[in-house]
Amino acid sequence: MPRIIVCLKYAIDVSQIKVDSATRKLLIADAPRKISDFDKNALEEAVKIKMKHGGEVIALTATAENASTALREALAMGADKAIQIQDPNIQNADTMMISNILAEAIRKIGSFDIILCGEASIDSYSGQVGPRLAEILGIPAVTYVSKVTLEGNTLTVERSLEDCSEVIMVKTPVLLTVTKEINVPRVPTLMDIIKASKKELLTWTLADIDFKGEKSATPSIKVIDVSAPKTERKRIKISGESPKEIAENLVKALIQEGVIGG
Amino acid sequence: MYDFTETEEQKLMVKAVKEWCERHLTPERVREMDDKGHPYPKDIVEGLASLGVIMGTVPQEHGGLGLDWKTQALIAEVIGYYDPTVATAAGFMAVETGWGFTINRYCSEVVREKYVKPAIRGEKFVGIGATEPIGGSDVAGHRTTARKEGDYWILNGEKTFISGTEEAKLWGGGYWVNARTGPVIPEAPHRNITAFFVPIDAEGVEVIEPYRDAGRMAISTGGFVMKDVKIPDEYRLGEVGKGFYYTMEGFDNARLMIGASCAGATRRILDDAIPYIKDRKVFGMPLAKYEAIQFELAELYMEMEALKLMVMKTAWMQDIRYKEEGLPVKVSEAKTFKPTEIAKWISMVKWKGPFLALKAAEKAMIWFGAAGYTKEYLFEAAWRGVMSYVVGAEGGQNIQKIVIGRELLGKEYVPYK
Repeated sequence: MPRIIVCLKYAIDVSQIKVDSATRKLLIADAPRKISDFDKNALEEAVKIKMKHGGEVIALTATAENASTALREALAMGADKAIQIQDPNIQNADTMMISNILAEAIRKIGSFDIILCGEASIDSYSGQVGPRLAEILGIPAVTYVSKVTLEGNTLTVERSLEDCSEVIMVKTPVLLTVTKEINVPRVPTLMDIIKASKKELLTWTLADIDFKGEKSATPSIKVIDVSAPKTERKRIKISGESPKEIAENLVKALIQEGVIGG
Repeated sequence: MYDFTETEEQKLMVKAVKEWCERHLTPERVREMDDKGHPYPKDIVEGLASLGVIMGTVPQEHGGLGLDWKTQALIAEVIGYYDPTVATAAGFMAVETGWGFTINRYCSEVVREKYVKPAIRGEKFVGIGATEPIGGSDVAGHRTTARKEGDYWILNGEKTFISGTEEAKLWGGGYWVNARTGPVIPEAPHRNITAFFVPIDAEGVEVIEPYRDAGRMAISTGGFVMKDVKIPDEYRLGEVGKGFYYTMEGFDNARLMIGASCAGATRRILDDAIPYIKDRKVFGMPLAKYEAIQFELAELYMEMEALKLMVMKTAWMQDIRYKEEGLPVKVSEAKTFKPTEIAKWISMVKWKGPFLALKAAEKAMIWFGAAGYTKEYLFEAAWRGVMSYVVGAEGGQNIQKIVIGRELLGKEYVPYK
């Protein structure tokens, strides 16, 4: 029976970020956080695999803030156990540091068959943590997965690529990153939520997972500035004597702007 | 001491119900339900039931979730938000949750297994048949009778303006019915009334054609006539002669759900209106900049927050009451708040909620002008639906004032004595 670890990012809810109209700075500190959308797809897939094949689903996150409510939601959705690596030093962590932290946590958890991640996070959207984590753990990474079938220790996986889809077979242990097309994450029932309160939710610090590698403990990337682009409409009025002339002028204007080819 | 902090469990429950409603009670679906009318869509009720929102306060050992009323009120608020026509809230929060919970308190194991649990699962419908052709408000003056014959009771009477009769007929189910089981005592007409659970398909029950309501179209309103309906004694609710008291308790629970769902409906109306009044320009200025509109919005918002506080306080009082009464029911054990004190708060919530939601819907329609009067928006459907609570569902608005006045002035000042 598979043991599945699902990596969840306690991400900024980008739909609720407000922008300072004067400075264009994002007011991130005021924005609520939630489980990143694609990671919920990963969790849903893990739960579906467990429902079919049995096994265990462990939800894992690395966060500076306390993500216990989000992890409790993951438990309500069907995870058996949840672990948060909570440490203030994770505040400015880059993808390399997060991947190293998750890898250390997974080593502490012990054996696993499948690691599931979202294809990217909703806030930073780098899409790097999954593949980096696989590399650190020395297991294959299969990205952009839109369908999974497990038989024994072999997974048949469909990958959604830009202009085609690819079907591959891979043996466990393996890391998959999933797209949002793979499933519709379930809404936990109120009884699921009640039961989740009795499930195990662990909080570890970086020290608890023995995370002290000098190179990996500090971010290599420093984010200097994040601001919202200024979008101003051009307010061009297309006019003409007749509908035909207006249409022609519109086409000319679009060609001039480079929106359509000349 | 009341604590306004929502627990982690409450936050997750509210989030789950919101997410479910975002998927299933979309504005388009609610509009379709209102246009099409009853019976209430089975897929929605089954979904709500699987989620666990119907009769969530029923103890777990009886098939519910054992939620407290604070949590159930937060859920009812969400339901009112996503269906501001209040059809969903009326059918499944006020009637099934408010009355279903109370039925479960006093019913036998047979009724629980046959009707309450299936209703919690969204399979059957249970409700309240209080109003009679002579009126609804004078509960002690109702004329339905029951006489004991061996292990059975024979009921005769008529109930009108009853929610969910078509749903109960279609899905199976039944109603709480009060009947006089002893002589009228002029100085205490509320005595000698006994509560029963009457299955809708019992022999002698004739369901009348549903009314053509103005609003909350997705749930039916009808009635039924009982001619020599033979009900086993195990379908009696609670003790003989105590039906009036149980009924007041049922009203308390249903009215609390109405207050909560009206707070949700009001919030929805404001949320739908705010982007429009910020965007829509008149004489070169957004509507929202005009004090005539901005101040009305501010007042509605203040009143809504006041209502929510009242709902939470009332739910908190109910939670204390039920904790003290426990199971099996020991009504006299309630110590912290007198039932009449709770009833006063319940009545305040029931009065304020519907009037506020009605006012919000009316104001939004006026702000929007002709657009607000169309079916492009849910304001008119909310206005029609909420009006059902104003005209009398779960007790007329003036009845609430009588209850409040009685507590403020004393029993000797009630107008009907």
